[in-house]
Amino acid sequence: MKQMLLFSAISLILLASSVSVNADVALPKSSPQKGKVVMNTGLEVATDATAYDARLQIPKAKLAELRAALANEDGDRSTTLGIAYSSARTIVAGLFLFMSLSFGGVLMARAGQSRGQKVLAAVMLGTALVAATAIITQANAGPPPGYVWRNLSQNLNAGRATHGPLKIEIVDEGTGVRLILPLKVTARPDLKPGEE
Amino acid sequence: MEQSANMELSAWRMKRRAEHSNTQTKLFVGTLLTCTCLSAMLASWVPLQFSIATVFLFAGPHNWFELRYFLMRLPARFGRSRNFFVVAFAGIGFLTVAYLSLPALYYAGLWSGSNWIMMIGAWNTLLLLWIATLVWLRARQNRRRGWISVGAWTWPVALAICSINWLAPEIFSLAVVYLHPVVALWFLDRHLRRTRPEWLRAYRQCLALLPLVVVGICWTLASAPVLANDNGLAWRITQHAGAEILPNVSSHLLVSLHVFLEMLHYGVWLVALPLIGARNKIWDVKAIPLFRHPRGFPRLILGLLLLGLFMMVTLWFGFAVDYSATRDVYFAVAIAHVLAEVPFLLRTL
Repeated sequence: MKQMLLFSAISLILLASSVSVNADVALPKSSPQKGKVVMNTGLEVATDATAYDARLQIPKAKLAELRAALANEDGDRSTTLGIAYSSARTIVAGLFLFMSLSFGGVLMARAGQSRGQKVLAAVMLGTALVAATAIITQANAGPPPGYVWRNLSQNLNAGRATHGPLKIEIVDEGTGVRLILPLKVTARPDLKPGEE
Repeated sequence: MEQSANMELSAWRMKRRAEHSNTQTKLFVGTLLTCTCLSAMLASWVPLQFSIATVFLFAGPHNWFELRYFLMRLPARFGRSRNFFVVAFAGIGFLTVAYLSLPALYYAGLWSGSNWIMMIGAWNTLLLLWIATLVWLRARQNRRRGWISVGAWTWPVALAICSINWLAPEIFSLAVVYLHPVVALWFLDRHLRRTRPEWLRAYRQCLALLPLVVVGICWTLASAPVLANDNGLAWRITQHAGAEILPNVSSHLLVSLHVFLEMLHYGVWLVALPLIGARNKIWDVKAIPLFRHPRGFPRLILGLLLLGLFMMVTLWFGFAVDYSATRDVYFAVAIAHVLAEVPFLLRTL
C-alpha cells in the first residue's frame, strides 16, 4: 500500500509538470465562413467517364431529411454524430475513465495476492494516469482529420469511389455549392523549388 | 406383492410424468421458435405497418401486465430492502421527470434546445449511477459469493460505461432503446428458473439462436432501400429506431430490427409470463401480497390496477383518434416502465 501511495505521488508530480508544458493538440483552423451544421450524412465521391457535367445526386429520403433539418434549424438542436466531436465531452469521458480505472486499480491492489494481479493493478493505475493527462492536454479521440479521404486522389485516378462522413452546413455567403474535403496538400506543382 | 405393485405403479407414474414434461418442453420450444420466426419475417417484410399494428394493440396491455407483475413481486413489508426500494422509486420518479422536462421546456419556449447532446449525456449518466447504486445495495443484501464481487466492481464498471456514454450520448441512448426489449427475456429466464426449471435449459438453447436471427435480419436488409418517411408517422418510427443517428444504415433494417425485438418483449409480458407457471388468474387481486396482507393497501392496489385498465383503454382511443400524437406522448411517458424494470429484475437475481 505504501509503495502504491509513493508511486501515485511520483506520478502526480509528473502529471503536474505536464500542465506547464502545455502540450496541446493544435486546434483546427477556423474556417473563413462560420456555418451551422444542420445534418450529418455520408458522401460518395465517384467518377464517370461518360458524364458531361458534374452532378450531385441526393436520394429523395435524404432530401426530405434535409428539408426537415432546415425546418428545425432555428431550434439549434445539434444532431452531431460520431464519437467525441466535442472537447467537453471528451474531457468528461476521460474523467469518468480515469475514475473507473482508479477505483478498479485500487480494488485490484487491495484484493490481489499474486504478482500478476498486482502488475495488472499497476497497469490500470498507470492507464488511469494517462487518461488524466489526456484530459488536461484536451486530446480529442478519433482519427486525424482527413483520414477517410486520404486515398481520394488515387481513387479518382483509378476510377474508384471514395466514401466518408459529410456534414451539411448552411452558410450566409457564396454563390454555389461548395465541397470542402479535409485533405493536406503535400506538393504544389505550380511552384518552383524554394518558393512557398 | 402389494409393495411390488406399488413400486411398479410409481415407476410407471414417474415415466408418464417425464414423458408429459418432455412433451410440454417440446411444445414450449416449438411455440417459442415459431413466434420468433414469424415476428422476424413480419418485421422484415412490412416493418412500418407491423410497428403501427403492434404498438396499437400491445403497448398499453403490456404495460398493464408489467404493473401487475411488479405488484406481485413487491413485498408486503420492505424490511431490509427498504433502502433499495426507496432508491428505486425515487430514481424512477426523478429520472422520469427529468426525461420529460427537457422537451417540455423546449416546447414551452423556456429552453432553446442548445447543448442537447450534453443533456442526453447527463441524463444517461444519472441513469447509470442510479443503476449502479441499486446493484450495490442489492449486493450488500445478498451475501452470496458472486454478489460480493459484483458489489465491489459495481462502481468501476459503472464509471467505465459512463465514460463510453460521454463519447457518444445519442448512440448510447439508442443502445438503450434496443437493449430494453431484450431485458424481458431475462425476466422470463428468472421466471422459468422459479416455476418451470425443467424448461430452462431448452429456453437458454433457444436464446442462443437469437443472435443468429438478428444477424440474419441484418444480413438480409443491409442493402435494403430506405423506408419512405415522407409522412410524420413514418418519420417518427424511423427516428425512434435511430435512422437519424445512423444515417449510413438502412432505415428498413433499423425499423425491422427494433420491431422484431419489441415483439419479443410484448410476447414475454403478454403471453409467456402470465401463462407459464401461473398459480392464480390474472384478475385475482388477492394473490398480490400488498393486497391480501392485513397491513397492506388493498384499495390502493385495486385503484392502481383499475387506473391502469382505464389508461390502457384511453391509449387505444388515442391511437384511433390521432396515432402520431398519442405515440409521441406514450413513448415519452413509457420511460417510467423502462426504469421500473431495473429494480424488479435485480430483485429476481
